[in-house]
Amino acid sequence: MLYYELKKIWVRPGTRIAMLILIGMLAITCYFAVHGVYYVNENGDNEYGIAAIQKLKAAKKEWSGLLTEEVIADVIAENTRLNETEKGRSENVQDSNIVFGWKQGFHDIRLLLMYSFCKFQEADYYRPDSLVPEDARFFYGNRLLHLQEWLEEEEQQYRLSDKERDFLVRRYEMLEAHKPFYYDYAEGWKQLFHLAATVVMLTMLTLSFVAAHIFSGEFGYKADSVFYASYHGRGRATAAKLGAGLLSITIVYFAVMFLYSAVVLGFFGTDGAELLIQTNQGGWKSFYLLTNWQQYVLTILGGYIGTLFLMLLTMLVSARTKSPVAAVTVPFILLFLPSFIDGGSSPFIGKIMGILPDRLLDVNVSLVLFYFYEIGGKVFGALHVLPIFYTVLSIILIPVIYQVYRKLSAG
Amino acid sequence: MELKIENLTKTFQGAEAVSHMTCTMEKGVYGLLGANGAGKTTLMRMLCTLLEPTAGSICLDGEDIFRMGAEYRKILGYLPQDFGFYPDFTVRDYLLYIASIKGVHRTAAVRRVGELIDQVGLSKAQNKKMKKLSGGMKRRAGIAQAMLNHPSVLILDEPTAGLDPNERVRFRNLLSELAQDRLVLLSTHIVSDIESIANEILFMKEGVLLHSGTPEEIIEAMPERVWGLTVSVREASAYDRRYRVANRKTVPGGIRLRILSEEKPHPEAEEETATLEDVFLSYSEEEESACDESGE
Repeated sequence: MLYYELKKIWVRPGTRIAMLILIGMLAITCYFAVHGVYYVNENGDNEYGIAAIQKLKAAKKEWSGLLTEEVIADVIAENTRLNETEKGRSENVQDSNIVFGWKQGFHDIRLLLMYSFCKFQEADYYRPDSLVPEDARFFYGNRLLHLQEWLEEEEQQYRLSDKERDFLVRRYEMLEAHKPFYYDYAEGWKQLFHLAATVVMLTMLTLSFVAAHIFSGEFGYKADSVFYASYHGRGRATAAKLGAGLLSITIVYFAVMFLYSAVVLGFFGTDGAELLIQTNQGGWKSFYLLTNWQQYVLTILGGYIGTLFLMLLTMLVSARTKSPVAAVTVPFILLFLPSFIDGGSSPFIGKIMGILPDRLLDVNVSLVLFYFYEIGGKVFGALHVLPIFYTVLSIILIPVIYQVYRKLSAG
Repeated sequence: MELKIENLTKTFQGAEAVSHMTCTMEKGVYGLLGANGAGKTTLMRMLCTLLEPTAGSICLDGEDIFRMGAEYRKILGYLPQDFGFYPDFTVRDYLLYIASIKGVHRTAAVRRVGELIDQVGLSKAQNKKMKKLSGGMKRRAGIAQAMLNHPSVLILDEPTAGLDPNERVRFRNLLSELAQDRLVLLSTHIVSDIESIANEILFMKEGVLLHSGTPEEIIEAMPERVWGLTVSVREASAYDRRYRVANRKTVPGGIRLRILSEEKPHPEAEEETATLEDVFLSYSEEEESACDESGE
């Protein structure tokens, strides 16, 4: 029965077209992921491709190691030295590119300097250029200091409760135990995370066209009468339909993520798996203590849970309304709804926004957002809550869909 | 085996599609006759547990079929009027899938599907996609799916719709074979199909069971008699207005009319043998006439 339910899904031309489109979009995304990284040669020109990646890797590997105050001071000194060269002072674009090429080995550390020495919500790219080696001693301390300054602002006093502010400070303090951070070339993970949300969302939206037909299909084909008049129609056949849907979603999702990961990590390598995400550009402010490898697992699993939940919701609407059109709009609405809501208008709306399923589809961004939830007097970050919350909701939805569909009237 | 319908009523938004229907069916072929909107499909859908009755009950050997649920559906075969299928399945896959949801074990299903494909004459088309079949072939596949589980209760809603005369003859022969030891209820607009197969006829009108009995009993109970009369073309229109004319046929002397009337319409009119089609027309047009008379 399950075999035929799977066959029903996969012989449908709509499913095949959707999969071809998904493969096409995946190929384009992989191209952008690989082509998004370049090496600047001694002439200031960009080089792309595997050879360029290897050169960039070699340049960055020279700076791998613990980011001690001495190393930070060296980076500041080297940055200043290069700025003071003739080309460094030149306003010629090609000269600037050449200087960038000289700096690309410690470019990631330079970006960390920018995050460390800018105010909490600032990002001044040239801030590291005004530092002196003696500033290195403030590198780690700034992280907590700027957070505390930010938390003193009136808006944060209004938006966050005392418990939430305390929680945030404690989480930042926990990171103190991990300093000095270890730095290494980790371009593979950065690129992977950079476009992972795009891949997850494209997969989810494509799958929604498949899921929307699973339950309404019987009615669309007018095959519902025979289905419901059969021995297993209101029992195992409905369960098989649900099983086929879940299996198809799971297989497609993991196949796509595996392909994407294999291509990106295949090109860039898996170096830097054990680095703290705080050493990645945007991750500096994150209060989650994770390594790149752990972020990868969270990205894949979070995306899966979010996709699964949205697909189950699609299937529920498909079963309830008997309409694939109504069903397919559900994930689109939930995905694009946050774009039309001002999350900063009230703390309550902000909390709702933070727990929408789209947050699970974009773990890379969710890791640097400050959404907190108080459960049983304890404060948790959104990413502590979301995977469990949507797993539970998904588990609840499965029998609901089963009951709704088996009790429908045919015709 | 006894399928007992008692005081069965189904209401849709206040309108009774089936009204207080009571009858009992046992093994044999039952023909369900009635004009469009008579409630035949609604009745059949209730008999297949697809619709729950508003009132009344349907019992199989004393047990409510809705309470029996899957156990009842295990012995049920149903061909809906608007027969839908999965267009990208081959005939064979379609039948194997239906066999699986009917609870037929895989080995038995493979054997049964093979038998039925031969029986309904789809051997050459068994690997064709359902969407590539002609209307008649789809109907035959529909009949085959209804038979997959050797149903004791077989319900066929307009099984001959879309079939050409040859296919109808083939279907009638097939049904005669299949009708052994089971209850078959079929509805059709093609009265001759029922006339040649059914042991008993249920005549429905506006949701009410008007008559039931053998074809002979139903014909006997018709309030009107059937008369044949040849008239000129000019006179024919006058007869059309005054009587219910079942048929007009151009013959060398003018037009031969088949008139339904309690009285002899003309001294030269000859009484003819009534058929089920005349009964169908007689009952179906009663209301139309009533409406015409009241000026509606």
